[in-house]
Amino acid sequence: MHAILSESLSKTYRSGITGKQPIIALANFSVEVAPGQIFSLLGPNGAGKTTFVKILLSLTHPTSGRASILGRQLPDVKVRERIGYLPENHRYPGYLTGEQLLRSFGQLGGIHRSALRSRINPLMELVGVAQWRSMKVRKYSKGMMQRLGLAQALINDPELLFLDEPTDGVDPVGRKEIRDILLNLKAQGKTIFLNSHLLSEVELISDRVAILDKGTLLKIGTVDELTSVGPEYLIGIGADLTEGFLHEASALLLKLSYTSDSISAQLSSTEELNKLIDLLRKYGIEITSIVKKRSTLEDSFINLLKKEVVS
Amino acid sequence: MKIWGLVTITLRELSAKATLIVLAGISTLIILGIFLSLSSSQVEDGINLMFFGSSVGSPVSHESLHEIVHGIQATLTKGLFWGIVLFGVIATAGIIPSALEKGTVDLYLSKPIARWELLLGKYLGAVVLMLFNIVYFLGALWFVFGIKVGVWNSQFFLSSITLTFVFACLFSIVALLGVLFRGPAIPIIGTFLYLFVGNLLEQREQVLYLISENPMYQRILDGLYYILPQISAMEANIANQITQQGLDWRPFAQSILSAGMLFGGSVAIFSKRDF
Repeated sequence: MHAILSESLSKTYRSGITGKQPIIALANFSVEVAPGQIFSLLGPNGAGKTTFVKILLSLTHPTSGRASILGRQLPDVKVRERIGYLPENHRYPGYLTGEQLLRSFGQLGGIHRSALRSRINPLMELVGVAQWRSMKVRKYSKGMMQRLGLAQALINDPELLFLDEPTDGVDPVGRKEIRDILLNLKAQGKTIFLNSHLLSEVELISDRVAILDKGTLLKIGTVDELTSVGPEYLIGIGADLTEGFLHEASALLLKLSYTSDSISAQLSSTEELNKLIDLLRKYGIEITSIVKKRSTLEDSFINLLKKEVVS
Repeated sequence: MKIWGLVTITLRELSAKATLIVLAGISTLIILGIFLSLSSSQVEDGINLMFFGSSVGSPVSHESLHEIVHGIQATLTKGLFWGIVLFGVIATAGIIPSALEKGTVDLYLSKPIARWELLLGKYLGAVVLMLFNIVYFLGALWFVFGIKVGVWNSQFFLSSITLTFVFACLFSIVALLGVLFRGPAIPIIGTFLYLFVGNLLEQREQVLYLISENPMYQRILDGLYYILPQISAMEANIANQITQQGLDWRPFAQSILSAGMLFGGSVAIFSKRDF
């Protein structure tokens, strides 16, 4: 069973006075998210990330395609007992205190009063808002509000958590704390679906990442798959390269560039890597390190979007 | 349980508004004023009804006193009716649009709540709050008339239920306009406009029929009268209830059907909407 399964999901909004001008928010978007993963959806503003989450939560109706959550075909009201959601730009009722808010939304989540009583305090402690439990939400800072929002999303102990910009407005220490909470939730077997612009954070915690632009899926894979720069290796060496080595390497059609202490090699397979290592050993050149070159997720993301613009 | 959760949130939201505090304050002042000014005394030839220590007319029999008090209560309730319309609609018109605001509706609908449940919870929250206010006002006045004049008119107290029912019917219009326009201004204006039009429709045979003798025009007016909640007819009936002349159930039955239809329309529109 997939935590999330989307099959050719599309959403077109109509705009203009006559409503005839189509705006494609999502185009045949198919994705599978396995249980227990942290899955991140990336994309520039207007890429369709929030639309996708809203379709999964039945806030928006898809134009075509279908989706299921935790094995239940959507729309399904009941399945929402097993999910938590932290929306972007949430507006919590300012007249409630933090504790009242969690109690109210817990009640709406179908949790029994007695269960709520034992759940609210530890949750407030977990997200670091316990000391403000009796303060009206309208007095909360943006960061405190995000923490409270996370507690609200966790109030029903969900199997699947949707988080839209969860660290928005949170200071670096708070961001680290939230990251740790998410990793801990993952360790408990929860599935986390993340929408975030903070790519460095996504890179740190995500198992799989999908990149979306103009409603279309550009790329999907693990962070490693998305950040590796082809089959390119940086090999540290402890001695200068000899003429003989360079001649033999050239005969093997290996594409190399080098400095006094490293070789940068573009290799098409691990077999070629092994050939290169054998060659270095043959000429007695000490190998100090072998590193597969990779970029950051941010670089990959920007490059992918640039390619999309060019094409 | 979930609907009760929505009712509770709505009650908290409405209680935080100044309009209802003003309404409760005005109610308390009226109750206190009547409590302090009203009294009665037994004299040789009947009972003297007194305001601020002065007799109102000559002593009356026990039966006549009941009639006079029922009349006063009917007048007070008529005043309350317009108080409810004015303050009640203004105070509650924003609750459905506020629930549909971006960032709020997401939170509600991410919970295991169907869209009709969200709307019903908000609707009931507004009605329950008005019930509290009306029962507080009429219940206290019923008690004041009982202990000060000795007239325990149960129909006066029960008219709080009837008045709440009228408000519930009226709120179906507020809810529909709230879902359609997502702001409090049009529901308020629309409801007041409806009250005006409803009053005209109530007197269509005396007023609107004079404009044209076209049977189609008259049938349209009749159709509108029977489709929409009959607020004016219910208002007139509340006075009959208090003066114990009996209730005509027809406008109430017709209005509950209309309110149900309007609420159903709100749910249908809300269910199709993207957020």
